[in-house]
Amino acid sequence: MQDEENLVRRAQQLDQEAFAQLYEQYFDKIYRYVTLRIGNETEAEDMTQQVFLNALQSISSFRWKGIPFSAWLFRIAHNQVVDYWRRKKGTTVPLDESLASSDSTTQLVAEHKLDIEQLLLATKKLTGAQREVISLRFASELSIAQVAKVMGRSQGAVKALQHSAIVALRKALAVTDDENR
Amino acid sequence: MKTGKEFNHILNECLEQLLIKGESIEQCLQSYPEQAAQLKPLLQTAQVAKKALAIQPRADFRVRARYQFHSALQEAVSPRSRPLLGWLPRWATVVTLVVGLLLVGGGTMAAAGNSMPDNPLYPVKLATEQVRLILTPSQIGKASLCAELADRRVAEIIYMANKGDAQQVELITQRLDKRLVMLATLASAQKAAEAPRMMAPPAPSEETVGAPDVYADSRAKLRMAVAYYADKHQAALRAVLEKVPEQAKPALRRAIAVSETGYQRALEALD
Repeated sequence: MQDEENLVRRAQQLDQEAFAQLYEQYFDKIYRYVTLRIGNETEAEDMTQQVFLNALQSISSFRWKGIPFSAWLFRIAHNQVVDYWRRKKGTTVPLDESLASSDSTTQLVAEHKLDIEQLLLATKKLTGAQREVISLRFASELSIAQVAKVMGRSQGAVKALQHSAIVALRKALAVTDDENR
Repeated sequence: MKTGKEFNHILNECLEQLLIKGESIEQCLQSYPEQAAQLKPLLQTAQVAKKALAIQPRADFRVRARYQFHSALQEAVSPRSRPLLGWLPRWATVVTLVVGLLLVGGGTMAAAGNSMPDNPLYPVKLATEQVRLILTPSQIGKASLCAELADRRVAEIIYMANKGDAQQVELITQRLDKRLVMLATLASAQKAAEAPRMMAPPAPSEETVGAPDVYADSRAKLRMAVAYYADKHQAALRAVLEKVPEQAKPALRRAIAVSETGYQRALEALD
């Protein structure tokens, strides 16, 4: 954490190397989070890029006041996702065509492709908060404490939400499995 | 029987063992034999959720995103250079630039029009372009001009890549990116401005009946031009990739990626 604090301070002074390190550290995590939240790879690419450009623009305003950098960054990603769904409101969002198409074989680790498609389908059946906790915990590997900061909830509330999300995901996966048979 | 709160805590402990320590489900269950039956299906589901880690960005997206981020970072880091004559009001900037260019002389301006980045007249070329952009009144006109300027940038990239000047290729690629972003932004704004008219019922006046939609028509023409440039530039840049000196190849590859993405966005905005 101390290292990250130091990196962030340097990044705030526009130290290119420090910013590049933070970028590499979080790029995949943010991408996975956004992909799992919206289920569309092409949109997830644009949004991931935007998250880091927004972070670059506003890093000077970041303050270490009990909020870790990861929570701040994921909060930017969360806001992007919220904006995305707001724009999409009223339109039917299809299952990610790029992920489901045969052309995407090279885009994902091939042996996990089917599992990922099923997971994406199943997460679409969860509530927004359940989907967020699954994305943050399993796709981005954040701790309960970090998830609590991102979501602005207590750790106890996040643990309860995590429980209900896994139960809901189990049901959704069973349905998806039946549908695929 | 544990309360919900206690069970949530135990479930989280098991998830930590599973996700962080890499323990098996059986190992986790051994720690909590009383809750094993309730925990087992949840931990199995957690293992499926863990497969989200296999979601990986495409390699070409990773390269493109990194390049664009580093370009933005570079721009942020470089000394806060004001835009040309940025301290003047907008009208004064235009007047100053026009007067300056007139003083330079029409012949010089014409000569600068064809100059390449290694030519002393190149800054005049850029300044002239800036004036043209400022003086073009409509969004669609500015967007067309952006497409034309992007065409110039690609010609310059090819010229400098052939000379093996990777640094100049990088610099011009940033200018190309800027023009293509501006083109996409203007196209989106134009489309947004057209939307209310397109959604509104046609007014029953004689003047509007049968009148062609000038803006939509201009946008369609611009789209054709942009589609043409997109193909032309990709073909031209790829054609020289094998021929340019080795040191210019990475920069040229980035130019190809920037051009591809930039045009794709612009075309989407024009659809």
